[in-house]
Amino acid sequence: MSIVEHAVVAAAGLGSRLGHGKPKCLVEFGGVSVLAHIMSLLKDVPDVRVVVGFMEAAVIAELQRVRPDAIVVRNPSFRTTTTLHSYALGAQHLTGDCLFMDADLLIVPETFHTFLEGCRPGEARLALTASKTKDAVYAELDGEAVTGFRRENPTAFEWSNISWLPVKYFTDIGMTAVYEHLRRYLPMTSGEVVSFEIDTAEDLAQAKENAQLFGLAAT
Amino acid sequence: MAGTCFCFDLDGTVTRAELLPMIASEINLEQEMSLLTRLTMDGLIPFEDSFRLRFAILRSAGLERIRSVVAEVELDPDIAAFIADNRDRCFIVTGNLDVWVEPLMQKLGCTFYTSTSQMSANGDVQLKHIMRKNVPGLELKERFDRVVAVGDGYNDLPLFDVADVGVAYNGVHASPDALISVADYVTMNGKGLCRLLSTL
Repeated sequence: MSIVEHAVVAAAGLGSRLGHGKPKCLVEFGGVSVLAHIMSLLKDVPDVRVVVGFMEAAVIAELQRVRPDAIVVRNPSFRTTTTLHSYALGAQHLTGDCLFMDADLLIVPETFHTFLEGCRPGEARLALTASKTKDAVYAELDGEAVTGFRRENPTAFEWSNISWLPVKYFTDIGMTAVYEHLRRYLPMTSGEVVSFEIDTAEDLAQAKENAQLFGLAAT
Repeated sequence: MAGTCFCFDLDGTVTRAELLPMIASEINLEQEMSLLTRLTMDGLIPFEDSFRLRFAILRSAGLERIRSVVAEVELDPDIAAFIADNRDRCFIVTGNLDVWVEPLMQKLGCTFYTSTSQMSANGDVQLKHIMRKNVPGLELKERFDRVVAVGDGYNDLPLFDVADVGVAYNGVHASPDALISVADYVTMNGKGLCRLLSTL
């Protein structure tokens, strides 16, 4: 069992780069929404907070179906803010450590649970995945420690948009991307997951090729 | 007094069913009541007018009969437990009538803000004052550092307007978009709601 008590899932964005005209978390794989997949991964985490914005009624309806005890956090300014703002809103009123993740991810369940089991109190930890997405944030590594992020010159691993972080990291934020904000707290330890982001049509195609890995039938 | 207080709507939030339709079904006026409820939910009739009409329909049931229906209503166990653990900072803010919801005042044991009634000389219950939820909200803001509002309907809007934190509750039926648009949080059952409240 992991010590993870709280999770904040960012599901507010427009998903315009994917261009499906709906939130990325509602894209379906064989009849299972990405949101249902994420909620199934988080079934042992007692306090799950999902930050909604774009088409919030549709996201809330799906959440009501798959995880009715989740807490919906509204981000009415989703069009003018970044995921960083959603994370800060989601973690408001929480203390200690929290799992932060995006809602547009498909993850091999065993690797996700291994990551959660490796989380320790007060020890910030990033989940990395083999580099593959079009718009990756590459991790610079020294052993298991992430020492830097970069957008050019691919490294072997990219940040998966999953992190275990003290909530206090989000008390003072600017209008930046999450990885830019996290730079000030580097180095951080890391663990590997097998995950696919569906930011673009190419990413989605890649995830679909690997759909059998995600345990979707069990969702 | 300092700290945070919690204001709960009653019907369809703390209770697992709406009380007025339950009373209506006792006297075979369900259809009339459901039409009125729908018009109110759709925002076509203001809450105050709607409540006057609903009062006029339901008063024929008689006070004792209404109270016995109210006494039987199921409460959300998680919300009732939260209120029991935090009685001095939990409040029910309801448009429902004082004499009708009295059995629930005893069960929940916290302070109620309700619409009020008076007895006429011949013993009839008459409407005295219809609740406007911003009034108790503002009163509680004077007493507490922070007011958290929990509700599921249009008549909760004035309370959300003055509260520091608004939680739309979809546990019995979906809250109207108008309420969600001014809420900070949406919760979908009593367990999730109380987990949120315990961190506020």
